Amino acid sequence: MIKSNDTDIQIAICGSAGDGTIASGDIMKRAAAAMGFNVIAFDVYPPEIRGFGKCISRIRISSKQTYSLKQESDVLVSLNDSHAIPHAAEVRDFGVVIYDDNLVARVAEGGHISAHIDAAQIPYGFSIRQISEQATNSSRSRNVVILGCLAGLFDLSAENFHDIIAKKFATKAQSVIDDNTKAFDAGLKAGRTVFRLDDIKVRAGKIKSNGAEAVMMTGNGAVVRGFLESEIESYFGYPITPATSIMERLAVEMPPRGGKFLQTEDEISAIAATIGAAYTGSRAATATSGPGLALMAEMIGLGVMAEVPSVVVVSQRGGPSTGLPTKTEQSDLNLAVFGGSGDAQRIVLAPTNVEGCYRCAGMAFDIAEIYQTPVILLIDLYLSNRYETVVPADAGTYTPKPRPQINLEGGENYKRFEMTKNHISPRALPGQPGLMYTATGLEHNEQGRPNDDAHMDMSIKRHEKLKGAVHYPGLNVSKRFGDKGKVDVGILGWGSTFGEILETMYQAQAEGISCSAMKVVMLSPLPLQSIEDFFDDCREVLIPELNYEGQFAGLVCGALGRPVTRLSRATGSPMVVREILDEVRRLSGREPAPVQAVGAMGARS
Amino acid sequence: MNERVQPVYLEEKLEEIRADGHLEYRSKSLPTWCPGCGYFSMVEGLTTALKRLEIDSKDTVVVSGIGCASRFPFFVNTYGFHTLHGRVLPVATGVKIGNDALTVVAVGGDGDAFAIGGGHIPHAARRNVNLTYLVFDNGIYGLTKGQTSPTSALGFKTSSTPYENRDAPLHPLMMLLSYGASWVGQAYAGRQHHLADMITQAVSHQGFSFLRVLSPCVTFDKTNNTYANLNTTVRDLPDDHDNSNLMAAMNQASRDDHPALGLYYKEDRETLEQVMKATASRSVKTGTGRADKQ
Ligand SMILES: Cc1ncc(C[n+]2csc(CCOP(=O)(O)OP(=O)(O)O)c2C)c(N)n1
Ligand code: SF4
Ligand SMILES: [Mg+2]
Repeated sequence: MIKSNDTDIQIAICGSAGDGTIASGDIMKRAAAAMGFNVIAFDVYPPEIRGFGKCISRIRISSKQTYSLKQESDVLVSLNDSHAIPHAAEVRDFGVVIYDDNLVARVAEGGHISAHIDAAQIPYGFSIRQISEQATNSSRSRNVVILGCLAGLFDLSAENFHDIIAKKFATKAQSVIDDNTKAFDAGLKAGRTVFRLDDIKVRAGKIKSNGAEAVMMTGNGAVVRGFLESEIESYFGYPITPATSIMERLAVEMPPRGGKFLQTEDEISAIAATIGAAYTGSRAATATSGPGLALMAEMIGLGVMAEVPSVVVVSQRGGPSTGLPTKTEQSDLNLAVFGGSGDAQRIVLAPTNVEGCYRCAGMAFDIAEIYQTPVILLIDLYLSNRYETVVPADAGTYTPKPRPQINLEGGENYKRFEMTKNHISPRALPGQPGLMYTATGLEHNEQGRPNDDAHMDMSIKRHEKLKGAVHYPGLNVSKRFGDKGKVDVGILGWGSTFGEILETMYQAQAEGISCSAMKVVMLSPLPLQSIEDFFDDCREVLIPELNYEGQFAGLVCGALGRPVTRLSRATGSPMVVREILDEVRRLSGREPAPVQAVGAMGARS
Repeated sequence: MNERVQPVYLEEKLEEIRADGHLEYRSKSLPTWCPGCGYFSMVEGLTTALKRLEIDSKDTVVVSGIGCASRFPFFVNTYGFHTLHGRVLPVATGVKIGNDALTVVAVGGDGDAFAIGGGHIPHAARRNVNLTYLVFDNGIYGLTKGQTSPTSALGFKTSSTPYENRDAPLHPLMMLLSYGASWVGQAYAGRQHHLADMITQAVSHQGFSFLRVLSPCVTFDKTNNTYANLNTTVRDLPDDHDNSNLMAAMNQASRDDHPALGLYYKEDRETLEQVMKATASRSVKTGTGRADKQ
């Protein structure tokens, strides 16, 4: 939890596509991570590739562990006033707005951001364009000038910035590095000449554990790392936001390791080839988003029926249909857990932060192979794209296990789908003598021969065999935080939203509300016992999630039949801590909150 | 031209078949097809080919889609994967990539191939995945009891075209030739020995081999692709056909009224597995793969 003398600042840089907004944020977050701070960063892009859409890069820099972005930023930097004006209100009281006070073009009344800065906010005008032009003969370095200003204002080490600039442009001409360094230094000078802020300070007390340098990763980067460390052998994919970067990274990383990478003609082929490769014993995976998962549903059913292990990463975006391709949402839970024909239970893991992406991806192959079933890793755009500092010492708690050798007796009596005590049957791989069998999506008997009469027994087998997964060693399928024992309000959550939930819980506790939070990482099969225990302990249970229908609440209610309060939001943006907090206050009896804060599908269900 | 059927004495024939050894490749399950279905000859054809090429059944995977034809894997004693309607090629591609030491044979019907699965064929062909694709083309949907298929003849009355089929049939061989398949051939279920020869060649080809097998559905097609009709319409490719000439192959393939049997086109080209291996060694040399970069 953040205390008043900890460093905890959030910087929002806002500009138009082409201003270098995202690049600027990128240097900022990498420099902060290099200084040893805990960083969480998330960029918002316009859906179009070209044009002048709005870009915002938000970076939270803290000396303690944090769990999400802050709702209010401490600093807003405007590279484009018309885009930044609506965000002026996002800056907290006594926070800072940095803008260009020497614009060449005349702007209409109200078109300049200085007219929108609240009396409680601190305006900082710099001649950003002019400084850029003087330093590099071009206005195109404005995005780096402002980094200098920020470093000057907060007394940040210029060395780290120089270092990151050199690394970022290492593949470009030396003049590019020189120009950016000059622009930064000029901004630094300007930033140092203005008065300092007492209120926003960067203090010592950085997070470094065991002397290990923290590395910065996105959720997608963490998935890639987890896959590589657990020795992924085959990958098949089709590009789709926000999963594409997983595929692009693996395209680089896999071939030198002897891995097989293929961009297929569509998502159906991606999952089909994944299952084909997995059938031969290869560690195979694919990654997609909701629309791709919809196409994969039939094939995932085949994976369940034929008991072939495979790993499918699903990074959700707004839906249905093409929906909101560049915005986040948690609305593919139903599809991930239930999608497809028939009773096709599979394992669904939903990590809640970047480190969790790494751990779940690293364990996914083991889990899929042990339970001989598809494993879906359900994340979302907010988790895929956001940067967090991860200390490898923490992340490294996952160590890939040596892969078990399958040694089976060949012969007449081999039963691929043998009924065993734990419902898991001996799996032969092509190439092994005397064990030839045909895998099929038809219902089949123990030998794998088509047989309708075996349906009830095989349905039991396919469902029962997954039950043990909730006790999978080393994986926290659910975890409770905050007050122990009986509490007034429990917040139950999943996926990326859990960061905001934790932040809310700590704030509620600070207000004296008895509160705890529980994350559920395994969405299928559900760890029902621990969820039930949580319900027993909480007078009220609140489920905040980023979708309209309250899909997770529906899942939990359906399984337990206990009342919950839903806070379902489909805005395309991450959950807002204040909204969750208002609900927690209301449920705790502290303060009535307006009715509209309650979920779209009604208050209780 | 047509093979005359000679009367045989059963015991003698059985001895001969046993001695050949290809029966080892048959599974214990007897085919569930209708008596007289052209598909029986395919089991004979593939098992003969595997025996001739001395490919161990443990190293063979027969992948299929859904349909009467796709029941095939259950009737051979190899590894098998009976998958989904239309998805045989991407699954088979995955199997080959998963373990390229395996001999992979993909099988399916005309609906499986050219209707629901039509989007996958060009990609398997252009990638030149080293597998064999046997399409059992009966011009009808057998398993679902007689609806029209993408290769049904114009005017054909089926349960889904009760007044007559008005959709022009596809030309599978021309499609495959233009998709870049590196081996394209045609056989007929009524010519058992030729079929076995063609399958043998197709399986031994390094690259994507496509064999279309004309096969009567005796239950749902009494008018078009019947043995009686096919026996008179099929011909051999001309002796002087140059199977390295793509345009000559196209020309022959366009004559659907008199389907020619034989090897239309063959080309030696790098296979997908070879390309993947080359990429691997190139990227190791250039050091493009960096674990640290996220
Ligand atoms: C997704 C899906 N759609 C439809 C079917 C029903 N179906 C099964 S086989 C088949 C067509 C079979 O025709 P063909 O591929 O020509 O094979 P044949 O039976 O003639 O050998 C259809 C439509 C299915 N199994 N799955
Ligand atoms: S329905 Fe037609 S294709 Fe199917 S088994 Fe019978 S004869 Fe063969
Ligand atoms: Mg057919």
